[in-house]
Order: sequence, then C-alpha cells, then structure tokens
Amino acid sequence: MTEKTDILVIGGGITGQSAALAAADAGARVTIVDAARNAGSTANAGSLHVQMQSRFLRLNPHLADNLESSLPLYVRAVTAWEELDQRLGGVELVRQGGLMLAETAEQAAFLEQKAEREIRKGLDVEILDRDALFRHAPYLSERFVAAELCHNEGKLNPLVANRKMTAELDRLGVSRHVDRIVQIGEENGKAVAQGAERFVADRIIIAAAWGSGELARPLGLTIPTPGEPLHMNITEPAEYVIHHLIQHAERSITLKQFASGQVVIGGGWPATLDRDDALPAIKPQSLTGNVALAGEIVPAVVGLRLLRTWAGVNTPVDGKATLGPIKAGGLIHFALPGDAGYTLGPIVGRCAAASAMGTTPPMDIAPFTPDRFAA
Amino acid sequence: MMKRSLTIAFENETVNAAPGMSVAAALTAAGQRVFRETDQGAERGIFCGMGVCQDCLVEIDGKPNVRACMTKVRDGMRVARQAPRPSLQVRPAAEEPATETVAPDVLVIGGGPGGMKAAIAAAQTGANTVLMDERTVSGGQFYKQTGLDGTEPLDRQQADGARLHDELLASPARYIGGAEIWGAFDGPVIVAATADCVYTVRPKTLIVATGAYERPLMIPGWTLPGVMTVGAAQTLWRSYRVPAGKTVAIFGNGPLNAQVALELAEGGAAIAMLADAAPSPVTRPSPALALAAADPALAAKGFGMLANLRRRGVSTQWNTVPRSIRQVEADQLEVEYARGERIATVRADAVCMNFGFQPQNEILRLLGARMDYDPRFGHLRTQRTETMETTVKGVYAVGDCSGLGGAPAALVEGEIAGLAATGKTAPSSALSGRLQRHRRFQKALWETYAADLPDVRDAAPETIVCRCEEVRKEQLDAALAANPSDIGAVKRATRIGMGRCQGRYCGPALASCLSGHTGKPLDEFSYFAPRVPVKPVSIAVVASSDLSADDTADD
Repeated sequence: MTEKTDILVIGGGITGQSAALAAADAGARVTIVDAARNAGSTANAGSLHVQMQSRFLRLNPHLADNLESSLPLYVRAVTAWEELDQRLGGVELVRQGGLMLAETAEQAAFLEQKAEREIRKGLDVEILDRDALFRHAPYLSERFVAAELCHNEGKLNPLVANRKMTAELDRLGVSRHVDRIVQIGEENGKAVAQGAERFVADRIIIAAAWGSGELARPLGLTIPTPGEPLHMNITEPAEYVIHHLIQHAERSITLKQFASGQVVIGGGWPATLDRDDALPAIKPQSLTGNVALAGEIVPAVVGLRLLRTWAGVNTPVDGKATLGPIKAGGLIHFALPGDAGYTLGPIVGRCAAASAMGTTPPMDIAPFTPDRFAA
Repeated sequence: MMKRSLTIAFENETVNAAPGMSVAAALTAAGQRVFRETDQGAERGIFCGMGVCQDCLVEIDGKPNVRACMTKVRDGMRVARQAPRPSLQVRPAAEEPATETVAPDVLVIGGGPGGMKAAIAAAQTGANTVLMDERTVSGGQFYKQTGLDGTEPLDRQQADGARLHDELLASPARYIGGAEIWGAFDGPVIVAATADCVYTVRPKTLIVATGAYERPLMIPGWTLPGVMTVGAAQTLWRSYRVPAGKTVAIFGNGPLNAQVALELAEGGAAIAMLADAAPSPVTRPSPALALAAADPALAAKGFGMLANLRRRGVSTQWNTVPRSIRQVEADQLEVEYARGERIATVRADAVCMNFGFQPQNEILRLLGARMDYDPRFGHLRTQRTETMETTVKGVYAVGDCSGLGGAPAALVEGEIAGLAATGKTAPSSALSGRLQRHRRFQKALWETYAADLPDVRDAAPETIVCRCEEVRKEQLDAALAANPSDIGAVKRATRIGMGRCQGRYCGPALASCLSGHTGKPLDEFSYFAPRVPVKPVSIAVVASSDLSADDTADD
C-alpha cells in the first residue's frame, strides 16, 4: 500500500508535530509517520532550557562552541513555545526563570563567565548574590553562595502539550501512521520513504531524533545521533512553592514543580537501553544519586515520596541544530534540535517546514545546515 | 472489649484507642471515616486497609502522607485530615535512619502463609534466611493476626497463623516486620525500609510471596468514605476488634464475603445485605459436589458457614450486583443493586466489596519474570517450574502473588520453594500430591462461584476509574476514541495510573478497556510497564539506600 502526501514528516515527537503543524497551516497535505518506540517527547519532563547547561558543557567540552552558537535559537524557541501555549489553549507554561546554582566561589566565577558569554548572544541573564538568591528562592538550601538567573527559562507540562498538539493536528486533518521507516530516497522527482508501508511525498522532513543518523547515512551524511537515555523521577503533590527551573553549576540536575504540585527531578542521570530492546530501564545508582542531590538543593523535598521513575531518550547530536535540505534544492530536509529537543522542537519544526516548503523560515537557518556532516 | 487506654487527637477531638490499634481502626471506632480531601474536593477514607490504595493518608504530628491503615497509634499522637497539597517544608527528621546491607542465602518477601512456610523450610536446611513483611501485624491477609496486646485468637484460622508465626520466630530465620519493599533491581537487589532502618538486600535466591489485593467493582460512589474492601473490614475486626459499621452491606463474588459477613455478625454488626454475583450453587450442583470431593472438610466448613449465617437471619442474595452507591445522610450509604432483573436499594453505614483479587506481582514483573494472562481470574499468572522458580533464575514465586491459588496451596508452595531455593533438598512427592489436591479444590471452588461480573467497559460515564487522579470513565472513553498506540499513551493522555496507588486499581481496568477497544487479547504487556518504586517511598529513604555498588552516574 502506498500513502501519497505533500509533506511526509518522519518522527511524531514535538519537533515533527511542530513541523507538521506549520506545513498544514501553510495549506499542505501532511502525514506523520512514527515508529512509536523510545520517544523523547512522550517521556519529557517539561524544562524550557535556554542558558547553557552545565551538564552538556561538562560531558561535551569539545562541543561548547556549537552549543554557544545555538543560543539565539534557544531564545527564539521560548517565544515559539509561548505562541504554541496561546494557540493550544494553555500547556501550563510558566516563565519565572531558571536558576543555576553555585555553592563555591569557583562555581560562581564559572557562572559569571558563562553569563557574560550568554548576554552577548542575547540572553536575559543576571548573577544573583546570596541575599538576592534567597529573596528569589527561599526554599533553597543555605549552602549556595550565588546563582545565575536566566529570565528566558521556564517550564511547561509536556503531557498537556502533547495531548493538545495531537488534537490540533487531528483537527487540521494531519494523517498519523505508526510505522518504522527504514529507507528514504528520491525517485522521479518525488521523495519516498519505505517502512512496512511505502510513502510518496513532495518533501520529507526527518524529525526522527536518534533514528535520524541511520536514515541519513545512505544519503551520504554521517550524523551522530546516538540516543542518550536519561533518568527522571516524580513525587507526590505538595503546596506549589518552587516557581523556577533549578539547575546546578557543576552537578547534573534539573528540578521543578508542576502546577499539580508534583516535583519533577531529572537532569541527565543515565538510564540504560540494554534490556531486550524494551523501554529504557533505570539504573539504581542514577535513582539514588539524582534524588539525593535534589534533597541537598531543596531540603523540603526529602520528606516527599517518589511515585514514579522513568527514562526518556535525549539526542544531543553535536550540540547544534541540524536544519535544511540534504543538498541545495533537495527533497529531504532535516529537523534535528541537537540537545534539549523538547525546548527547541517548536522552533526547529517551524524552520524545517519553511525550508521544505520553500518559504522564509522564522529565523536564519544557514548556520544549521546539514552540510557539516557530508563526507 | 479492649481497654482503650491511649488517647490521640484527631482534628479537634480526642479519640480513645487501644494499644496496638492502627490509626485507621482507632478513627473508625470513633466514628470518623473522612481522612483526607482530594484535589477535586472529594472526601476519602479507609479503602483497601492493607497499604495499597493510599487513600487513607493523614497528617501525623505534622507529617503528611502517612497511611492510617499501616500506622499504629501512639499515646498523644496528633492526627489531622490531609489537605490535597500538604505544605512543602523541612520537617526535622526524628533521627537519621540506620542503614543495613544484608546478603542472605534466601530472602523471602511477604509474611503470609506461603512466605512464612518458605522461610521456615529454608532456614531449617541451615540456609541464612531473612523474611521481610510490610505489615507490623503478622500473618498476611489470610492469617491476619491480632494487633492488640493480650487478645486470644478469634478462631482456628487465627490460631493456626499464630502457631506458624511462632514457628517462624523459633526458627533460625530472621524476621523483619514493618518493612516496606519499595524496589527491586536485577541481581536481585531488594530495597526496603522500616520506620527506623533502610535495608539493601542482595540475596542469593529470592522467594516472592507478596499475596494479592482485592478487586472492587468500579461503580459510581465506590470512592466514598465508608465504602471499603471486604478485606479492609475483616482487618478492622480481626486485627483490631473494630466493626466497620453498625450495619454493613457486603457485595462481592467468592467465599471470603460470606466468611467476613459471619465474622462481623458474630462481632455484633447487623448485616444489611450479603450479595454474591454468582448464581445460587443450588442451581449448579456439580461444582459443589466436586468441591466436596476435593476436600470434604473444607467444603463442609464452607457450607456450615452459610448455614450459620442463615441461623443469624443472613441469607446470601445470589445473582446480585451493586450498581451505584450514594451518601444519603451523614455516615449512611445507600446502594442501588440489581438482583437479576430487579433493581432495589439497601442502606448501611459501611459498604464492603470484593470481586476477586489481583496478584501483587510488581516485584516479579520488575525482575522480568514472564507471565501469562488467565482469563478465568482476569489477571496475570507467573510462569513457574515445579519448584516454583520463575523464568528468572534464582527467583521463586509462591502463593497468590503468582496468580490466585488460595492459602492451603500457598503453604505447600512455600515449603517446596523454601527447600528448592536452598538447593539442598528436592521436594518430596508427598508435597506435590498435597498441592495437586489443594489446586483441585480451588478449581472446584471458583467453578462454584463462576459469575458474569459487570464489565468495566460498560461502566457509567461518571464512574471514577482512577481513584487517585480522579479520572472518569467518559475521559477514558474519549482517550480510547483517539486510537492510542498502547496503554502508556492512554496513561499520558488521561493521567490514569499516575497517582499514589501507581495504577493498582485502574491499571487492570484500563488494560481490559483497551483490549476491548483494539480487539487485541490481554497479555503481560497489556499492563503499565513495571517501575521503581513499587510503593511510594520517601526521598530520604531512597537517598539512604546502598545502591552504589557498581559505576557512578556522573563523569
């Protein structure tokens, strides 16, 4: 059976959905095909990241420049989320800023340097001294001496966002298929994708996160897209007091509180993908380490009970988005956020849709061309 | 009556309690049944009575999220109804919990018939054996012992349990009561905590004997305070001598309901109704005869029980199921029920339900033990060898946690597994002969009680299907209409299964609805993916657990 469409989006996460939404808005017939396996978006914990994450810098020092050059995309990504929040009738988006905490003078100095670099890229950040920090966030442990507050940052509820986004796409008549695409190419001026079914389209947008590298390789591009399974935790509800997105200058953590009152703890502790191709499994060391650190940062959470842990898959690529056609005038386009995929999804999806449809993207995508992965 | 020599404060009232009572029992005895308020403003109280449903949460001495059913009273204790979102503040811990890492030859989880028997058998071979039970009152759900000091066993069942527990304590096995098991990892590594110690256990072999919990019927009103499982009412009475109400209505399917009706009647409660969904056994004599043939003594006990009830003016209403429950005045509930085609109502202070059981197989599923769906009982059965070993080497499963089988079978399975887990003695053929007899009896028993139970797929739109997140059937139906790819997609779309009971009640119901929608038969993958923690656990406990055995997460 062959499905014919104008725009075929491979990958039904927030990036692919955003691409589909933009293409459908522009009048295209759109089909999303998704493998329904180990997605990032369905397991996401809802941080809106803008400032450079210390986790990424520490794990990938060689990619720091790539990340820094992407910062304008992060700033624009938050605007895209605000627009989506409006359009979808609310996704519990809160923008009270994100705090990155320092507990030593050395960490504070690192944040000051980082803040200077980020200001140059247009971020709205400030360094808080101890007193200012505790005025902003009295719930924090007294161990901290300073913090970087990034006003662009925030959080949202991905469960609500995903549900409303799917409903909006359904309303626009975007067709959804569960299938794993194994090969793509161009034939007779059309883009084709082969899974259990065959799909023929005017353009294909690859928004398949960790599955993208394999699809790109036969087309002459070597894109590193190993999945990075990450651990997350959620507690039972409590009074809502943690308004910020919390991170640490040197240690892996994100901590925030949803509107439900539940506290979500994550931030890059590893999970595993090794049991029989099943869902990513958690590592006991990540569980204890991650929540113990949360307790050191916000002491009141120690008394809360954990309800659930899970793992989702992040795809950092090279720390930079990959956007645009495989080759000039080509029929196959990329929509890879490159780390923080949920934050970047809406803006990256919209840029990719514009690229595929030949209209002007909401921002300059030239810096993100896939050319850098050509052999 | 027990001397109620302690006093606790509940809200602004003083409540007398007997030493050893649970907070839930003391409050019930004082006529207090509303323990907390939900996010949507609904009232909740005791429901499962065994630490599963998490609906009886109260604040004790300023600490929220404490299960009233699992916590003993202490003189001077201050108990308050729990707000939907308790304050987030630092509460000074009494003390840092002690930590202990244990590496026994055999770890048995669960202190019911199967678990106790397994631990005794293993310990007697000389194996270093530890038994952990989440309750402080021993015996599990079958033998449930008295929690009160100096009370005599109520009957032979409780006396048998006391004897077995004494045998366990006299054996070389180490018994750790009040230990909540919150996680299991490959290895196996089992993590648990008591009130004052955090345990990490790395046993050579593991015997899981975690029993089952009760399945209610999801009907409008099933979450009201005063509506509880039959087992919860039984625990209030057998362990604490507190009647669930002055008048009690019991609806269900299976032999437990008549037994508890008789116990409560003997305790002085008026039984407003005893209803079973099955047709009268008189209409189907052949399973009843098979029952008598399989175990004449047990069968006689059962028929004697029904006769005894009749002498007390309580006759079972067969072919009868509840349709909805509403509160008519303070502490008065009215149940609308159907007896065949006829619709009628009955009023009572307490409404109890038991429509079968769900195995507590969370630990087995986490460790990767394979299971098959059993359509007769509507739940998963763990695949086991003749020695009760699961598909995970060194992990054994005994009793109802591997699929409903009853206490007599659990005793034998425990003995077989306890011996096999030590690798020292092969199970004797006498044991397997006894096991076959118990299984034949169980089979005949449940044929006697075979009934077409109301299907949750047909539940009224306003019926709550997820008690914790307060999700209604109509919301589930809307999510199903979007053709979700799997049960996880429904969970994410509706929040069904995201609450404190971790999907124990809604999970099987949702799996059944989804299977009905897709036409795909149920199997072990139809349910929510198993996740740590298997019970809500405080971050303090997790952080104190000794799980840093191999690599570290960072750098």
